[in-house]
Parts: sequence; structure tokens; C-alpha cells
Amino acid sequence: MTTQEEEILIMPGAWNLPFRHTAGRFASRFFRELRDSQKIYGVRCPQCRRVLLPPRPMCERCFASIDEWVEVGHQGTLEAYTILYVPFLGLPPPPLAMVVVKLDGADTCLQHILGGVDLSDPDKSKEVVKIGMRVEAVWREPRRGEILDIQYFKPI
Amino acid sequence: MGRRVAIVGVGLTKCSSHRTDVTYPELVHEAVSGALADAGIGFEQIEAVVYGSMDPFDGVFAPERWNVDSCVSAGFLNKPFLKITTGGTTGGSVALGGYYHVGSGMFDLVLAVASQRVGETIEAQLVLNTAVDPIYERWIGAGAITIAANQASNHFNYYGTTEEDLAMVAAKNYANALNNPYAHLQRHLSVEDALRTRMISWPLRLSDCCPSSDGACAIIFASEKRARQIAKTPAWVRGAGQITDNYYAGDRPWFHDWDSLAMLARRVYRQAKISNPMDEIQVAEPYVAFTVQELMEYEALGFAEPGRGAELIRKGVTAMGGKVPFCPSGGTLCTNPIGATGLIRVAEAALQVMDKADKRQVPNVKTALAHSWGAVIGFHTMMILDKEAP
Amino acid sequence: MSRRVAIVSVGQTRHEEFKNDRIYWENDYEATKLALEGAGLDKGQIDTVIASGWDAVDGRTISDMHTCMAIGGYLKDSAHVGEDGILALAYAYLRIASGQFDTAVVAGHGHREISLEVLSKVVFDPLFTRPVGASYLTSLAIQANAYAQRYGVSQETAAKVVVKNRAGGAHNPYAHLKSPVTLEDVLGSGWVAYPLRALDCPPESVGGVALILAAEENVKRITSKPVWIKGISWAIEGYYLGSKDLSQMSSLAAAAKRAYGMAGITRPLEELDLAEIHEPTSYHELMAYEALGLAEAGKGGRLVEEGVTERGGKLPVNLSGGALSTNLLGASGLARAAEAVLQLRGEAHGRQVAGAKLALAHGFSSLSGAASPTNCVVILERG
Repeated sequence: MTTQEEEILIMPGAWNLPFRHTAGRFASRFFRELRDSQKIYGVRCPQCRRVLLPPRPMCERCFASIDEWVEVGHQGTLEAYTILYVPFLGLPPPPLAMVVVKLDGADTCLQHILGGVDLSDPDKSKEVVKIGMRVEAVWREPRRGEILDIQYFKPI
Repeated sequence: MGRRVAIVGVGLTKCSSHRTDVTYPELVHEAVSGALADAGIGFEQIEAVVYGSMDPFDGVFAPERWNVDSCVSAGFLNKPFLKITTGGTTGGSVALGGYYHVGSGMFDLVLAVASQRVGETIEAQLVLNTAVDPIYERWIGAGAITIAANQASNHFNYYGTTEEDLAMVAAKNYANALNNPYAHLQRHLSVEDALRTRMISWPLRLSDCCPSSDGACAIIFASEKRARQIAKTPAWVRGAGQITDNYYAGDRPWFHDWDSLAMLARRVYRQAKISNPMDEIQVAEPYVAFTVQELMEYEALGFAEPGRGAELIRKGVTAMGGKVPFCPSGGTLCTNPIGATGLIRVAEAALQVMDKADKRQVPNVKTALAHSWGAVIGFHTMMILDKEAP
Repeated sequence: MSRRVAIVSVGQTRHEEFKNDRIYWENDYEATKLALEGAGLDKGQIDTVIASGWDAVDGRTISDMHTCMAIGGYLKDSAHVGEDGILALAYAYLRIASGQFDTAVVAGHGHREISLEVLSKVVFDPLFTRPVGASYLTSLAIQANAYAQRYGVSQETAAKVVVKNRAGGAHNPYAHLKSPVTLEDVLGSGWVAYPLRALDCPPESVGGVALILAAEENVKRITSKPVWIKGISWAIEGYYLGSKDLSQMSSLAAAAKRAYGMAGITRPLEELDLAEIHEPTSYHELMAYEALGLAEAGKGGRLVEEGVTERGGKLPVNLSGGALSTNLLGASGLARAAEAVLQLRGEAHGRQVAGAKLALAHGFSSLSGAASPTNCVVILERG
């Protein structure tokens, strides 16, 4: 038990740092296409010809500027995943499957979540979520021009 | 290889979930004093300081400003002072910074300091979240654990690694931490205990994950001339380097192979003239924030063939008493003041080479390896220390 | 004997108030591409890249995950300094001098996704200084006032620095603020934090700057106009405003002394052809003159009153317009170095000092204003 002389004081603090993040040309177009035409776009590097998702202004491998837009499919392959079993601040409640999906036509993958599956039993989840399985985007209505216009991916 | 540089002193602090007994400058002072005492030199002899922390965990952005005079009165004495920050590799990058400061020929004695006070943060996950691109990915809360969980689920899927393999890594490192007076988590954890802890992000359980710690570390780098004057057994830098992979984890979803680390290891081994790490390195302190990463590091660092890392832990090759102990300090799994952790890896490797690792000393160490990873598993640093000057 | 290191190319974007069409690191990318193209190099010939800036300014922790990619760092040995980009220049110098790397890209950017004043508060400790409102600007104002009051420096004298620098910006095609201002404009601008008026303070600008460094054996292959780093040093100051002499920039004096020593400079006012000084306020340019040994303590104002540091004067300072015309938060110092390099290469169109051979570049690296700033001085010589 500490005496008054020994008492350690704990001072509260918080950062309230407001930001305005510009999405720039590339993300803005990607989000506009989600919102307005329900299309998912990647961009193609003029040198290595890879189709990159999410879209970005340069290919870091080739150090080349990019200006070619390529529509990719709404379906794809699950490349990697994990399932959250404890609550994470700011996320939907567990169990929550976070996945890495390669959409048809893209060379890189999108990070997203899996929905429409029962993940409550960690042992049974191995049957339900598999690396290599096919998935499809499920859309949010109305769409707002954000990544979550794709609400989640579901197995097909 | 350039000028010879050696580590001549190391300072560590006791790490815990919240070192309420000290303010930030006091915590840093503890590590710095330790290093000066270890080297047996006065603070005024330090010619330059390199500092790292992973802002903003500490509730103070750029804490080196507040802490400046704990670093050998650098502010008062107007010393050269450089802040380096590179995510989880910050400590490793700081070690490289110290090395290049001396290697440049401009300085003979340089202090490298790294610190972190995750304990001042109420919800570390929120902070980690700020590392994720706010435009595309921040909503997903993809902190370090989910990326490591992707590594694990892929390693299981492609290589047949099991939860028991991960639990064996945990049990080994927890046992090692009991020998380390500076470690944060010091408890007995058997394989069975580990497998009973709760699932966090499948397949990683609580026992597979590192803690968040308060702690600081300081290392003194010296030129050849000063090193021979100061230290009985300097730890010579035999190889050092960093690699930077791209940001988007989705660009390289083959999470089961850590190819960026394999690439760096090849480069650093070439520099250090090491061709068979299993025979030429006696102890390793890589950055194992999550158990599966130790297995992947065995593979990427060339101690095991791709996919066969689990065999080493099953056979006890990397336990204390094994051929090449990994993480004799208990490693990151038991102590993780994030921005400092990479420097602690170097400090622990140096202590092994200098024969100062007390109860966690591996016998007959000539060559030790230290590593850190960071970012979205895309940054790595490596340093190889040796009893012999290169 | 250290290897000699030269700057072989410079790239910078136009600097503006906003560049919303791009993510912040695209400024680093554009500047780096320009620098590489200017040198006829591609990123495969670069051994190491050093990014710079502050994560919180970028709004992203581990911001270098992005900036290193943008400056050609993919699969390379890279690093990031949490400082103004001029310290990235210093670190790259060390890396090349060590013999382990032959070429380096150094880059920085300014971007505006957060208010500096709001951000700077969290650099101050939560125990003693943050609760009383310490911030970047307030600490600089306290220092400016300490200096002005100790030596009787008038607001008019400080305002003349602004007039001089804004005139420089008007001649610099890259500058953000390109309109000159009069003394009346400055003295009529509203109070921000006494003695600082709005125009005594730099703007916030967006853009990118990149430099390419090379070791001496490689230099001739790359450029016929190398700019050699003849001297370089940096130094930090104490944190508590109440524990040091605020009327001088002691860390700048220490860095200058070491840099001059390396470069063999004993009479800087006579030997230097120009200087690019990173002035966080108009008063700080006057203090910098003194710390750099161009004037005695308290007498910096004379240089501006007598036109010594004007265009056409004995030692022109900030022909580029300085930070008062273009202030990249995280790269204003690097921008000073870039401008000095352009001068020495004879490429500072519209603002060129004829026959410039020896220049000084200075950067002020601090989010906490006068608390623990790092000052860096580079002495550059035409090859």
C-alpha cells in the first residue's frame, strides 16, 4: 500500500487529431465507379503489365506512372484469411473473417471481410473457409463511394 | 566491407505492461545509464545520438524531444541527434543508424537508443490501426495480429504446420524468458497451457501473441580504435542490412513464405561470408512477435528448408541446449516495447557475443544473428555480430 | 579520410497550397522521378533510399511504407528519418561515406492533412507543458520575443526579412507564394502570437523535393555538374524553454561551427556566395545570421537593414523565397538544400547568383518549435 508520499499519479490524455484525407485521383475514381456504376476497377502498369488492386498512381516495382484502368470481376479466389474471435475496436463483432481476395482479372489482392458463413465454431470453420475457394462481392445499398460499398465477400 | 564497427556497451530496462514508476525521460535514462556503465565510459564521450520510437503509441508524438537530455545531455551539449522511425523495425533501423554513423568515419562513439511506452496507451489496437492506409484499408482494423494470422493459416494450409508446433514455440520462449530479468512476461507456460488459451485471430491464440510493453534499450557503437580500448570483448558487426517490400499485403498473398526476409538474409550472409547458417551461427535473436513467425524465420534465414521449419522446434534444435538456440531472452513473444524491440534483439545478440548474457548465455558463442520485421511484414533489418573483427 | 560525396541531381515539384488530386507520397514520387531523369539514372542504379517526414503529419503511422515505395525503395535497403528531409540528406551522406552504398535517393514532401498547431501540441509532454498550451508556434513566438526584447530588435526589421524573402519567391517558378509583399502588408497583418504577425510566419505548402547523392568514384559518370558536400553537421537543443537561453539558436551555432570546420571556412560572410536558411519565423532568420557567425549576437538585423542579405548583396540569403514563400512541413530544410544545389549548378533561373561556387544550406527540423529543434548545416561547393 503506497503512502501519500509514494502515490503515483496517472494523468489522463487523449489525442483528438482531425484529418482530411484526400483520396487523390486514383482512389477517387475507384470509389466513384463502385458508387455510380457498380464496377470494380484495377490499374495496369505499362511495364510489367500487372493489374493492380487497389488502384494506385505508380507501380513500385517498375517505378512507372500508371494510367490504364482495367475492369475486374466481382468474383475471385480467397488467397488467405483469419477469423477474429475477440472484439476489435471499431469492427463488427466477432466472429469475423478477414480475407485476402484475388478478383478475376487482377494480379494483386484486396483485403476485405467474409460474410454469409457461420464461423462460431473455430474447429468447424476449416470446412467453411478454405484457401482457394471462390467468393463473390455482395454490395451495399445505397452505395456511397467507399470501400464498404462492397459489404463483404460470400462463398460461391 | 568498410570500416570496422563494434558494440561496446548495452543497456536494458525491465519491461512491463506499464512502468508507472518512471516518466518517459527517466525510462530512457535508465537504458542509457546502463549502456554507459556497461561500456565503462562517461556520457561526455558520446559524439552523436540515434533515436528511435514508433510514434504514436506513447501518447507523446516524437518523444525524443522530451527525452533529449536523457540521451547523454545531447540537448544541453548540442550533440548531433537523429530520429529514425520505421515501424516495428525501428529498433533494428536505429542499430543500423548507429553502425553507419561510426562506419562513415565521422564519429568514434555513437549512442543508439530506442524506446516505447505502449503502457501509456489505453487501446493499442487503435494506434496500430493508424498504420493502415486510411483510404482503402483502415476500416478493416488490420493490425499486426491479423497479418500474422494470415501467415499462420497459410503455413498450416501449405506446409501442414499445426497448432501444437506454434504452442511449442511459445513454451520454449516463455521458459527462456524466466532467465531474463528484463523480460516482461515471466511465467511458466507448457504446451498444454498454450493450447488452452483463448483464440484471438484464428489460428493464433493468446499464447501465440506478444504483449505490449513499456521499455527502452541503449547500445553504444564504437570505431575499431575506441572499441579495442573500451571493451574486453567487443561485438563486431560482421554483416548488416535492411529490405523494404511493398505496402499492400494483398500484393503478395503467399503469406507462408517470407521471401523479403529470405532475400535480405542472402544479401547479409554474402556480406558476412556465411554460407551455412546452421553451422556458422550459434545463437539467433529474430523478431518473433507471433509464434508462427519463428518457424518462418527458421526457413527464411536458411536454418530450415521452406516449409520445414516445424521440424526444428519438434526436434529441440532451437531450444536452450539445442544446436542453435533461438530467442534465449524469451524474445519479442515475451517482451515487446515495439519501437525498442528491434534494438533489444541486437542488444541480446551482442550480450551473447560479449559473454555477458548471464543466465541466458548460450555457451561458446562466436557469431550471433539479430533481426527485426515491421510494417505489413514488409520491412526487415538484420545484423550479424561476431567475436572476431571482420 | 571519408569518401567524398556529391549531390548529382535535384528534383522538385511546383509547390502549392493544395494538391488534392494526389496522395501525399505522390509528391515524393514526382520529385524523385524528376531527379532520376535529370541524372539519366533509373532506380535500379540506386543503392539506398532515405525517406523523411513525420507520420502524424502524413496521417499514417509508418508512413515510410508508402514513401519508400514512392522514391524507388522497392526491395532496397531503405530508411526513414522522422525529421525534416535535410536530416535524410545527412543520413544518406553517412551511408555513402561508410563505403557500403554508392548512390542514394533522399526525398521529402509537404502535405496538408492536419493543422500543425493542433498536431504540435501532442509533441509536448502531457505533464508540464501540454496543459499550459505549449505548441509549435507559441514556443517560436516566445523565443522570437526573447530575442527581440534582449537586443531591441524592432518589428520593422523582422518585417524586412519577410519583404526580402517574398520578393525572392516572386522570382522562383517553384515557389508557393509568388506575390511580393510590402513592409506595410507585413506590419498590417493580424497578430498571431506576439511578436509574430501572420506574415512573419511561413505558409503551409504542398509539394515534393528529392536529391540524388553519389560517392566520388561514380560522380563523373553521372553528371558534369556535381555539387560536393564539403561540410555537414547537425545538432539538437534542450527541451524545456525555461532551461536555456532563448535569445540564441545554440544548436544552429554548434552545427555551423562543426560544418565550417569540416569545410575549412573561417570567415563565412566573405567566403560564402549565398545561403539558403530555413526560417521558421522572420525573427529566426535574424537569429540564424548570428548563429551562423554572419553577425554578432543581437546584430543580425543590421544585415537586413544594410541590404547585405538582399539579392545583389554581399551574401544573398533565401533567393528562393525561403520558408516564408514555400513551407513544406517536413521538407523545408531539404528544399533549402535543393535550392542551394540549383544555384551552384547555375540552374536557379530567375534567381541565380552569378558564378556561385560555395553555398550554405540550413534546415530546422522540429514539430515542437523552439523545444528540442534539430538544426542542420550543409556546406556545398560547385564541382
